[in-house]
Amino acid sequence: MSADLSNTFHDELQSLKDLSGLVQLRVKYLGKKGILTAELKSLSSLPAEERKAAGKRVNDLKNLIESELDAKEASLKAEALKAQLLSESIDISLPGKSAGFGRQHPLSRVMSEIADIFVKMGFSIEEGPEVELDKYNFELLNIPKDHPARDMQDTFYVSDEIVLRTHTSPVQVRVMQRQKPPLRFIAPGRVYRCDADITHSPMFHQIEGLMIDRDITFSNLKAVLRTFVHQMFGADTAVRFRPSFFPFTEPSAEIDIGCFLCKQAGCRVCKSTGWLEVLGAGMVNPAVLENVGYDPDEYSGFAFGMGIERIAMLKYAIDDIRLFFDNDARFLRQF
Amino acid sequence: MKVPYKWLKEIAGIDAPVAEAAHRLTMAGLEVEAIEPCGDDHVLEVNVTPNRPDCLSVIGIARELSAIYKTSLNLPPHDVLAHTGALDFNVDILDYDLCHRYAGRIIRGIKIGPSPAWMQQRLEQCGIRPINNIVDITNYVLLEFGHPLHAFDMKKVKGHRIRVATAGCAYPGAEVKITTLDSAERAVPADTLLILDAEDPIGIAGIMGGLHSEVDDTTEDIFIESAYFAPSSIRRSSRALGLKTEASYRFERGSDIKMLKKALDRAAYLVKEIVGGELYGKIDMYPKKFVQTSIDVRYEKVNRVLGINISKEEMTSCLNGLGFEIKTKKDLFNVKVPAFRNDVKRDYDVIEEVARMYGYDNIPAVLPKATIGMETGSEAGSALSGIAGAVRASLLKTGFTEAINLSFMSEADLDMLDIPADNSRRRVVNIKNPLRSEEACMRTMILPSLIRNLKHNLAYGSRDLKIFESAKVFIGNGQDSLPSEEHAICALYYREKAKTLYPETANDFFVIKGIAESILSDLGAAGISFVRSTEPFLHPGQSADIFAGKGKVGYIGALSPVVFDRLGIKSAKPSIIIMEFFIEKLKSAGFNQPRYRQLPKFPAIDRDVAIVLDSSFAASDLNSIISGFGSELIEGISIFDVYQGSNIPEGKKSLAFSIRYRASDRTLTEEEIEGLHSRLVAHLSEKTGGQVRK
Repeated sequence: MSADLSNTFHDELQSLKDLSGLVQLRVKYLGKKGILTAELKSLSSLPAEERKAAGKRVNDLKNLIESELDAKEASLKAEALKAQLLSESIDISLPGKSAGFGRQHPLSRVMSEIADIFVKMGFSIEEGPEVELDKYNFELLNIPKDHPARDMQDTFYVSDEIVLRTHTSPVQVRVMQRQKPPLRFIAPGRVYRCDADITHSPMFHQIEGLMIDRDITFSNLKAVLRTFVHQMFGADTAVRFRPSFFPFTEPSAEIDIGCFLCKQAGCRVCKSTGWLEVLGAGMVNPAVLENVGYDPDEYSGFAFGMGIERIAMLKYAIDDIRLFFDNDARFLRQF
Repeated sequence: MKVPYKWLKEIAGIDAPVAEAAHRLTMAGLEVEAIEPCGDDHVLEVNVTPNRPDCLSVIGIARELSAIYKTSLNLPPHDVLAHTGALDFNVDILDYDLCHRYAGRIIRGIKIGPSPAWMQQRLEQCGIRPINNIVDITNYVLLEFGHPLHAFDMKKVKGHRIRVATAGCAYPGAEVKITTLDSAERAVPADTLLILDAEDPIGIAGIMGGLHSEVDDTTEDIFIESAYFAPSSIRRSSRALGLKTEASYRFERGSDIKMLKKALDRAAYLVKEIVGGELYGKIDMYPKKFVQTSIDVRYEKVNRVLGINISKEEMTSCLNGLGFEIKTKKDLFNVKVPAFRNDVKRDYDVIEEVARMYGYDNIPAVLPKATIGMETGSEAGSALSGIAGAVRASLLKTGFTEAINLSFMSEADLDMLDIPADNSRRRVVNIKNPLRSEEACMRTMILPSLIRNLKHNLAYGSRDLKIFESAKVFIGNGQDSLPSEEHAICALYYREKAKTLYPETANDFFVIKGIAESILSDLGAAGISFVRSTEPFLHPGQSADIFAGKGKVGYIGALSPVVFDRLGIKSAKPSIIIMEFFIEKLKSAGFNQPRYRQLPKFPAIDRDVAIVLDSSFAASDLNSIISGFGSELIEGISIFDVYQGSNIPEGKKSLAFSIRYRASDRTLTEEEIEGLHSRLVAHLSEKTGGQVRK
């Protein structure tokens, strides 16, 4: 009888489709009015010597049915979950909703890269006016009126005494007038010259640097700027210093780096010289120190300056300076 | 300056390969920018810095080479024999300050013709067009010695007389005109130095000769002038006249007052050799004698400034061949500076000479020992740091791309934005010499530049754009004062309604306002309020000025439709939202310092309310009404719906919000809240004049 019951149960279990069927089946066999419950009740009517063996059989069958129902329930639930997850599936190949970060302008990018290097070397950051007195832009920097050195910088005039600063160097003078040495700062900012073609913009950016203290030497200048070049362009970049002229430094130097575009083999950008001019520098001219009330016998220092557009053009292989100021999104998104 | 290499080799007495010589010149401070092959020779393009007028000549550059290669300089032949006797020719210098020396020679019986081929070739290599034998000789000597000469046709010099005087001195109060060699008639300023004959001006001193006294095919007798003019006077005149010549370029940088006699003799020598004629004695008026500069240089200082340690002998030998007279003493050496080195004035100038001849590459690189000082930097502290840097970083993170524009605009830009005459943005700083009329003044606002960027991008098919610029604007303070430079950050948001995978449903004004609020709260700015804006270029119903306390720190808003119509943008109804922050104003706002508040320990209860009230009611007023109610148990409200339409009367809106109640010391009960909530609802309804929806 129990073998039949067991077979019937297994047949019914086999044909189960869903969880609700399983609940019904559990009730049918194990419920208060279920088949096995009835079987257990009927044991009392058996003779005592049969009762024990019959009881064991019924209990074994009950345990078997319980465990098989549990197993079936678990597998049905797993199937149901699987089906649910499958139905919730999405096309993960669709593009995400862009968080749409903006892009930093390439000039700002280069400018902060440069600033970071000097800030790590202990330079602070200063700024000064862009519309500047002739006195600060020229005269106190040892460029008198009617001096041919003024030809080096085509100047926008607001009045006879007011100009758009042609370089960031007037910041040197303003800071030195305000503070006593030691000084160590850079001054990034916009500068203006009346000139426009594919390599000249009437407005462009420079970073100026100044370090003044006792016993600052030309050899210090070389080390600081060589360190900068190696940080900025790579530790194996060749650097050379050659004499030049700026009215506010003496001795003056121009700093060239080995052309990284042609590995110094000579190309169009380096005009076949293998060298790219990237920085101007020099020991601060004692006349400038005197102009701000420093004693050139007590203090010395060096100054340097570089054009950001030029460095950015070299770094990103940009051939027309005007691209920086068109602000074409197709250009800006490349950086 | 262009120089044929063979010419340099002759004078410098060297025989080095051209590339090597060019490299060594470059490393000594005369940058060779190009080496052009030219027949069996090379032409060097040398970049001569303004402090080295002596190197605007073959001899000057050759002197550098001979100093580098330790050879001796071979000056070209210039010894001449002249007739002696009466000249019947007078020179008067009427202004010693502007003309320190004036020399000349007369050569009679010459025949004008072409100059020899070798001379023409060298002139052409240097970029000078051959004209005739006499003019070519003066130009040749100009290139060779760097000293400008000028040849006059004697028969056109009236009264056998030359006078050197300013226009104002020769013709007091009168307007002076002269036709120069280039056939242009020029009005001469009163302080310009002229060369005159007995009657008329025959040249502008040091700049260009007069057309009338020019040497031509019929010339038989010439007068060659070799003079020294004060550099600043020549520069002023050249600029005033807008006339730059090979001569003025050299005179304004400083010519060699001593060499001018040799240059004159060299020209005379070449005329004798090439053209012939009879040479007469020299005129040499030299009223203002050259005073030689003498400089003491301490050995110790040279080593100290350069960071090297070289011996006295090494130091002074660096200077050999450059034309300095050197006397060594115990602790110092004395340098007497030749006339052609007017750039060497003090010990630092000599130190530079030592450094460049010693070789910058030979100076070791040693990092400085820094003194720790007060390197605090200015509070302004650059666009990349501080408040401006924080706003900039937030804009980048919220999707705005950084633009950089020229700092120029024109007043038409302000007209486009309806900026009224009394607005401070009308106090523009005008540039006297702008490159373009659209760039005639400094920007008083960034917005016009961003609008230009927008139009540029739309022209290339862009359908949305989020850009900003962080820059100074310039508010004028009158002609004689520097303007106020104020840092501003302006952002422009442009969006067309387009098919998109993930549509943005919020009104764009609120998208940008959300960014503004996040930026301000990130900064910790205190007392922020948004008040309807009066900016003339914004939509009056969709714009707000941003205040921090009583100071206006910026604005946001939709671009006014009136302004939009002027832009000629074709797209239908795009949304354009502008946001600007005034950084200095923002800096002076108050800032909240973070301060810890205990985290709530007990649960909150939320109750929703909807009120129908006037559509002009400002939702932000709910906050003050609720704080006026004065219950500590109200934690805050959050608005979740604003509705106008069916079921809501005309001129009204429904505002739905959730009120959160919480006690800090216990769990609130439903009963406790019930009474409080109904009293608050009654309060709201009374204060707003609205009807609570059931």
